[in-house]
Amino acid sequence: MTATHTPSTVSRPSPPSGVRRRRALLALALVIGGVWSVTGIDVTVERFLGAPGDAWDIFKRLWPPAMDEALDRGVVGKVFESVYIAWIGTIIGAVLSLPLAFLAATNVAPRWIRIPVRQLFNAIRAVPELIVAVIFIPITGLGPWAGTLAIGLHSVGTLGKWATEAIEGVDTGPLEAVEATGGRWVSGMRWGILPQIMPIVASFWLFRFEINVRASAVLGMIGAGGVGAELVSQLMFRNFSAVGAVLGITVLVVLTIDTMSAAVRRRIIAGVAHTGGPDDGDRNGQALADLTGFRR
Amino acid sequence: MSEGGTARPVRPRPRLRTFGITAGLLAFTGFAAREVEFAVSTFWEVWNNPLWEKFWPVPWDWVLDRSNVLDPLVETFQIAILATIVGCGLALPISFAMSRLTAPNRPTYLVSRSVMNVVRAVPDLFWAKLLVTAVGIGAFAGTWALSVFSLAVMVKLFSETVDNADPRPLEAARATGSRHLPAIRTGVLPTVLPEYVAYALYVFELNIRASIVLGLVGAGGIGRVLEAQRQFFRFDRVLGMLIIVFVVVFVIEQISVVIRKRLV
Repeated sequence: MTATHTPSTVSRPSPPSGVRRRRALLALALVIGGVWSVTGIDVTVERFLGAPGDAWDIFKRLWPPAMDEALDRGVVGKVFESVYIAWIGTIIGAVLSLPLAFLAATNVAPRWIRIPVRQLFNAIRAVPELIVAVIFIPITGLGPWAGTLAIGLHSVGTLGKWATEAIEGVDTGPLEAVEATGGRWVSGMRWGILPQIMPIVASFWLFRFEINVRASAVLGMIGAGGVGAELVSQLMFRNFSAVGAVLGITVLVVLTIDTMSAAVRRRIIAGVAHTGGPDDGDRNGQALADLTGFRR
Repeated sequence: MSEGGTARPVRPRPRLRTFGITAGLLAFTGFAAREVEFAVSTFWEVWNNPLWEKFWPVPWDWVLDRSNVLDPLVETFQIAILATIVGCGLALPISFAMSRLTAPNRPTYLVSRSVMNVVRAVPDLFWAKLLVTAVGIGAFAGTWALSVFSLAVMVKLFSETVDNADPRPLEAARATGSRHLPAIRTGVLPTVLPEYVAYALYVFELNIRASIVLGLVGAGGIGRVLEAQRQFFRFDRVLGMLIIVFVVVFVIEQISVVIRKRLV
């Protein structure tokens, strides 16, 4: 290297080639996408800038919440109805998904059944609860049963996928032991695999229950039972202090359930980490990563 | 040892507390099942309901007509794009305020964190309904609602990334006497930017899905048509729309997944 041109001050290294161009392309795509979207949604500058003010006007009127009125109207009971819907829906999802998960796992199921079951999980996951409820309401009529079915069916997708991954991660030793004694396939699943996956699968169920509580609150908005209907009707009457109370109670119950469920899940997972292999404790993180699509 | 041979190990006795918890959960389940009108026979009734026939056959010429499904679907995607840009844009500074590593001071950290926790505890369609009431029915309200929702999800994901970022470049920047913002700009931002973009794409996928149902509460997009046809009892049209919607959503998600995989 010729050192003749070395400058006396160390300059910043230039970024790798192509970065600038890629950044410009990304920015261009964002601007085009943004402008195209703005033209599709009838929005003027005035309306855009006015919106936070309008929203703030409403939010201000949520306070103070009319707790007495809400309690008289049985809002707490409605919130608990949402919780019941989520609970029974989660149980339905758990009961349906667990046997299916055994049929979808690479290490225990033959190929011909694995592929269709996996596709079934994917298809179910793609359809939101609300859409499932829209389909079920004409069949079951308005009420909590429609919401329960919708949540139960939708949960099969995610619960099945997570349980499948748990099964694929097991230690095959116990399974071989059952086979060596001449046990049938079902016995192998029951005694060789189920005890290994049960703690992690139970924590997935609880995690799904937390998600389902929020989902069932929303389902009420289209008449599938629970607190959502109360919110819609109070907003329709523009009775904002009652809306504030409904929101307050809902948030309180949702946060309480999240906290309790997270504590129980931590205990279950801690137990697994004690008795299981080195990677056992990480499967919950794996499920979270799967939910968000990312690894920590 | 004293007995010799290989006796089966004694099964641990369940504790009294275990019985109590199990009984409590069973009682709760039974009560909840009654409250939601659960009965095993209802599965059979749902399956055999003659109303299912109203879902079939799908009127393809109505579904494929441009103004019926395609135009509202495009509006849905415009809502999702705009909400992703607004939500993720706002999330960048707020995430830095919410992370222990980069918060300017402790009050900012605590306030932003607790506000965001409450925002996230309110379900997304509750936000949509509130904003529909505030700014009127239509795609505009939907865009705002989805922006709030994206913001809440994005700050949760991204502030954790910032928490886990390597603190050494930041220390180095501070050691040179840099002020707070330039220190973050040069010490933290470059290391977390790829994940930011990947999360933004993930939020975009979420928004595409969420924007479909927004119309059910009056916030514009394809859900509006869905709601209308549902109220006319045209379930065949509903089914046809849903098929189109999920094919398109599936394609968009696959594209987004491919881009995300290349980024991370």
